[in-house]
Amino acid sequence: MADPIKLAYFMAVKEGASYLGGLLVTDTSGIPLDFRYTEPITPTRLQSILYGKSLEPHLKEEVIQKTLLKELKTPPDLFILSATELAGGWSGDAKYPVLAVQKSQESPLAKVGDAFRAGPRDLLIQLTEGAAPMRVMFAASVDAVAQEQAVVKLLEAGYHMDLTEPLERVTAALQSLVVKES
Amino acid sequence: MFGRVKDAVADAAETLRRAFAGLGVVEVVPEAFHPRGHGAAVLEAEPRAGLEPPATSFHEMRLLREAVEGRALQPFRAQLQAESGWAQWGVAAEVVRMSPLEAGKAARVAVPPLPRKAQVLGRVEPPPRPSVRRLWDPVVPPGVRRLDPALDDVTAEPGLGVILSLPVPIQGENIQRLPKGLWMRYSLQLVRGTGENVRNLEVLGLFHLPRKGVADLRHDPRQGRILVRLEPAALKVARVPFILARRKDDGVLVSCFVEDP
Repeated sequence: MADPIKLAYFMAVKEGASYLGGLLVTDTSGIPLDFRYTEPITPTRLQSILYGKSLEPHLKEEVIQKTLLKELKTPPDLFILSATELAGGWSGDAKYPVLAVQKSQESPLAKVGDAFRAGPRDLLIQLTEGAAPMRVMFAASVDAVAQEQAVVKLLEAGYHMDLTEPLERVTAALQSLVVKES
Repeated sequence: MFGRVKDAVADAAETLRRAFAGLGVVEVVPEAFHPRGHGAAVLEAEPRAGLEPPATSFHEMRLLREAVEGRALQPFRAQLQAESGWAQWGVAAEVVRMSPLEAGKAARVAVPPLPRKAQVLGRVEPPPRPSVRRLWDPVVPPGVRRLDPALDDVTAEPGLGVILSLPVPIQGENIQRLPKGLWMRYSLQLVRGTGENVRNLEVLGLFHLPRKGVADLRHDPRQGRILVRLEPAALKVARVPFILARRKDDGVLVSCFVEDP
């Protein structure tokens, strides 16, 4: 029997002047297997000036993401983040296929399980019958072969769960942590 | 060699000086010059180079204009003018005969040497230089301080309890896609588990839930899913099929775990 698929959902948020991130690992039903979060990082004024615009990407990719991934006991099969983060030029770790999933407004594909390549790093997959297909965007580090393998896993997971929902859960959990600490 | 040339030049200079020293100068009293007639200046065209257009200049003497007015009708008379002075100069001219050069008569003229250095007169004294005073007050170099821009390491905290406090949505399976035999088995187990008449049950969905650790369960009919709140124990147990149904007569939800054959 094959190992169950593990999906890692990463989200980093800025609350006030602090940054914190969370990583949720779920099974293909969306049930949590692990969740890690970082303590809020508040860069000093000097650090904000010295890092400039690179502060936020550096914090999210180099500091928060790598710290959280180091804590994972078993590597995830897919590393999923928000479409906004991916569109911002995510250049994080290439050990796992990095991708973003987003609900689309496209017309449904012929049948459940179908995939349509809309671009070199952009695919539409049909997860639910009659519903709009899900848009999958891969990071630049994911080659075509890895994309195909990832799509198979996404189709399997998407049959049981809403692929976009866990990110909302991570965001809600991080916000609750911020409220708790303040 | 150079000395001889120098002497020869000096001799020649002295000879010329003596030869012309004895010339008699006859002062000639010039006759008074009486102008007898006046003529008009000839008009001249001055050619000019370049792109400028040729311009004719007209010169008129004021005297002539007056004379013309007075003698406008008188005919011009030609009159021969002679200069008697030239003749007198010729008569009074004295022929100078130069005595031939003789050996030993040449006198050596010493040429005073040129001054080696030109004397500068009226020299302006330069202004006195300001005296320089040294004031040694060095700027103290500032101390360098290091502010490490590196961001502090962050630590990851386990937060499973936090995430488990949030409801987990579980999607229902499409019952229509299940094999008919399998669904018959599930229906039978549902009737046995709930004790309800199968005709009185409306199946809401088939879900896969942890056998233990489900603390709360809510049905989301709009999206055909259930929201469950799990306990940590739920993460360690296997997922089993779970059927959620509603009694048609009173609308009460009933459920049971079913087992795969």
